[in-house]
Amino acid sequence: MEYLNKIGRSRVFGWGAIVVVLVVMCLLPFVLSGGWLSSVTEMLILALAGLAVNLIVGYGGMVTFGHAGLYAVGSYAFALLELSLGVPFAIAMILAPFITAIAGAVVGWFCVRLTSHYFALLTMAFGMIIWAIINSWYSVTNGDNGLFGIPIPEMLKSIPSYYYFTLIVVTVSAIIMKVILSSPYGVILRAIRENSTRVNFLGVNVRNYKWLTFTLSAFFIGIAGALFAGFTNSVFPQFAYWTKSGEFLVVVLLGGMFSFIGPMVGSVLFVFLDKVITAYTVYWPFVLGMILILCTILFRAGIVGFISEKVLRQGDRQ
Amino acid sequence: MDLYIMQAVSGVSVGFSLFMVASGLVIIFSILQVLNIAHGAFYMVGSYLCFWVVQIILSGVPANISFPIALIAAAVLAALFGGVVELSIIRPIYKSEPLYQMILTFGLAYVIADLCRFLWGMNFYTVTMPTFLAGPLVVGNLYLPKYNVFLIGVGLFIYIALLLIFNKTKVGMILRATTTDREMMNALGWNVKWISTFAFMLGIFLASLGGALAAPMNSVGPGIDAAVLVNCFIVVVVAGFGSIGGALVSAILLGLVNSFGIIFIPRVATAIPFIFMVIVLIVRPWGLFGKPIRTW
Amino acid sequence: MSEDKCVQPLLEIKGLGISFGGLQAVKDVHFDVYERQLLSIIGPNGAGKTTLFNLLTGHLKPNTGHVIFDGKNITGKSPDQISRMHIGRSFQKTSLFPRISVYENIQVAILTSRGKSLNLFSPARDMYREEVYQVLETVGLKENVNSIAGSLPHGAQRRLEIGITLASRPRVVLLDEPAAGLSPEETESLTQLIQMLARDQQLTIVFIEHDVGVVISISEKIMVLHHGELIANDVPSEIVKNKEVQRVYLGEESIWNS
Repeated sequence: MEYLNKIGRSRVFGWGAIVVVLVVMCLLPFVLSGGWLSSVTEMLILALAGLAVNLIVGYGGMVTFGHAGLYAVGSYAFALLELSLGVPFAIAMILAPFITAIAGAVVGWFCVRLTSHYFALLTMAFGMIIWAIINSWYSVTNGDNGLFGIPIPEMLKSIPSYYYFTLIVVTVSAIIMKVILSSPYGVILRAIRENSTRVNFLGVNVRNYKWLTFTLSAFFIGIAGALFAGFTNSVFPQFAYWTKSGEFLVVVLLGGMFSFIGPMVGSVLFVFLDKVITAYTVYWPFVLGMILILCTILFRAGIVGFISEKVLRQGDRQ
Repeated sequence: MDLYIMQAVSGVSVGFSLFMVASGLVIIFSILQVLNIAHGAFYMVGSYLCFWVVQIILSGVPANISFPIALIAAAVLAALFGGVVELSIIRPIYKSEPLYQMILTFGLAYVIADLCRFLWGMNFYTVTMPTFLAGPLVVGNLYLPKYNVFLIGVGLFIYIALLLIFNKTKVGMILRATTTDREMMNALGWNVKWISTFAFMLGIFLASLGGALAAPMNSVGPGIDAAVLVNCFIVVVVAGFGSIGGALVSAILLGLVNSFGIIFIPRVATAIPFIFMVIVLIVRPWGLFGKPIRTW
Repeated sequence: MSEDKCVQPLLEIKGLGISFGGLQAVKDVHFDVYERQLLSIIGPNGAGKTTLFNLLTGHLKPNTGHVIFDGKNITGKSPDQISRMHIGRSFQKTSLFPRISVYENIQVAILTSRGKSLNLFSPARDMYREEVYQVLETVGLKENVNSIAGSLPHGAQRRLEIGITLASRPRVVLLDEPAAGLSPEETESLTQLIQMLARDQQLTIVFIEHDVGVVISISEKIMVLHHGELIANDVPSEIVKNKEVQRVYLGEESIWNS
C-alpha cells in the first residue's frame, strides 16, 4: 500500500517535462528515419488507445477484454465512411469516434448491468461479436479480406506529415482526457473504483456513471482506430480479435494503470519490445503473457509506479 | 424432418462437448473465485496431447487402442500441468482483486498457447478416429454419426459423474462447502489451498478431456483455444455462473441454436452464438439460472 | 426536549420486518426518530441491528412495514435515492476509498451531494476546499489530509468513515458501530465527537453500538434489539433497570452495575 502514497501525487513529471517532451516529439522527424518515425507514430496511436482503455481499467477499476472491438469499430467506421460513402477524410476522422461512442454506449449498456467477472466476460463476448460481424458481413466489410486503399489527403501522405497529424490529434485528445479525469467526474470515478457501494450510497447512480465512462472510453479509442486506419490505409477484422484487447491491457499494465502517463510509457515500451523481440523470436505472445503475469504478481502499478516509488521514496517521508 | 433430427443430434453432441469444457470453468470459478481465461488454452493442450499420443507416440498402434489411452493421458497430463500452474501462479493471487486475477489468467492463456505453438508448430493436424466410432449409426431413416452419439454418451456420463461426486461423496461435500464459504472452511481446519488446487486440476481435467475428445472431429491447431473460450463464456453468461446443470442446459441450447441457425440463417453463422447471448442478456442480464445481482 | 407531540417525527419506522429463507432477521420493529435526537440501538451480535439499518438505507427491501422520512414513504427505494434525500450512513465494516487521499475521500462526498457528479470539465482539485477542511477539522483528521486513506491507522479510518458521512450534509445520520475495533481511549474521543456533532451541528443521530457503556452516557433514548425484535425503547435510566434487557445481556451485567 505504501507506494500508492506516492503515486497519488506523483509529480515526477511536472509541466516543464511535458513541454520538453513535446518539443522533442516535434523535432523527431528531423532526426529519425522513416522506419523509426513510423514506429513512433504507432506508439502515439497505441498510447491513445491505452489511455482510453485505462479510463475503464485504471480509473474505473473495470477489466475489459473487448476494447479491441471498439477500436475496430473506429477503424472500420472511418474506412467505410470514406470508401463506401465518399465522405472526405476530415469529416470521416471526426465522425468515426462518435460512431464508436454509440457502439460503446450500446455494448456498455449491457455490460454495466453486471460487475467484475461477468462484466469482463461480457466485454470479451461483445468484442468477439464485433469481430464476427466484421468477419462475416462480406458485402459491407469485405470480411476477412479487409479493406484497402483508404484515401488520405495528399498533404498527409508522407510519413513525417502523418506523424505530425497524429501527434496533434493524440496530444489534443490526451489533454481533453486529462481535463476530464481531473474534474469532479474523475474524482468520483476513482472513488467508484475503490468502493462502488459506498459511492452509490452517496447518491450517485453508479451504473449510469460506468455507462458514461464506457462511452467516453469508446470515443477516444475510436479516434485511435481511425488514426490507425489512416496510417496503414487498410483495416482488417483482426483489429477486433480478443488478442488485440490483450495488447491494450499490456500497455496499460506495463506502463502503470494508476497514473495518467502510465499507458503512454507502456505504449513506448510495448512497441519497442515488439520490434526488438520479434527480431529474435516468433514467440512474442509468450513474452506478452509473461509480462502480464509478472505485472499482476509483482508490478501492479507498472513501470511508472515502480519508478515513482523508488524516486519519491528517497525524497520525503510520510 | 430427418434432416432436422440429425441436425438436432449434431447440435446436442456439440452441446455436450462444450458442456464438458464449460463445467470445468464453472467448477474453477465456484471454488477458487477465479475466472480462468486460460481455460481455452488448456482445452487446446488436451487436443494437442491427444494428437501427440495417437499420431506420434502410438502411431503404430491402431486408433481403437491408442485413442482411449490418449484421452486418459491427455486429461491426466494436462491436469497435472494445471496443478503446477495453480501452485506457482494462481496461489499468489488468491486474495487479489478480480481485476488482477483475470489479467493474470489472460496472460496465462497467451503463454500456454505459445507453448503449444513451440511444441507443435503452426500446422493443423488431424487425429484418426478409432474405427469403432467412425461412420454413421443407422437408425431407421437416420444416419447419425457414431462419434456424435459417443460424445453425447460421454457428456451424459460426465454430468452424472459430477452430480454424484458433488452430491454423494465426501470430496464433493467438501468442494461444495468451500464454494459457499471459504473462510468458514479455513476456520474449520480444512486446507482450503489444497482443496482449491484439487478443484483447479479437476477443472483442467475436464477442459483437456473436452479438447481431446474434440480432436478427431475438429482439426488441432492454433486458434482453437479462442473459439472454445468464447463459446464457454457464452455458455456461462447465458447460464449464469453457479450451477453445472445450468451450464449443461445452456450448452445444449447453444449447440442446438447453432445447428439450426446454420440451416436457416447461414450467412450470419459465426454470429449466431452471440446473437443468442445478446437476446438472453436483454431479457435476463444475470443469465437464465443466475441470481439477480445488484450492480453497485 | 424533542418529545413534543406537535412535531412530526423525522423518521418513522413502522412494522419493519425481513426474513431470509426461514430466518426472521428483523421482526415488526416500530420506532420514531425526532429531529435532533441522539438515539442508540444496542443488542447482542446477530440481533439484526445492521440489517435494520440496511432496511432503512435501501440496501435491503423489507418484507413487511414501511419507513417514512419527513412525511414521505421511502420504503423500497434504492440506496442512491435514499442518500439523495439526505439520509447519511456510516458502515460497521470500514467502507472508505482506500487508494485515494483523505482529502479526496471527503471531497467525493461533498461533490456528490452538491450535484457536481456530472461535471466533466472543471478542475476538481480546489473545489470546496474549505468545506473539506472543515469536515476534517470536525473529525480531527486535518493533519492527515494528504495521506492515502488505506494507510491510516484503524482509529483514524473510523473517523474518516464518519467524516465522509458528514460531508454529504445529511439530516439524519445513521452510524453503524462507529467505535468498532477502537481502543478505550479512541472510543472515548469518538463518543465525545458524536456528542459534539449532535450538539453543535444539530444533527439527528441514530447509532448502533455494541459497547453499552458508550451508549448510556450520551443517548437520549436507547433501543434494544434482540433476535430482530425491539424489546425496549426508553431513556437510559429505565433501560438499565429493565429486567428483560438484563437477561438478554447475560454476562454483561457488570456493565449494568457500574
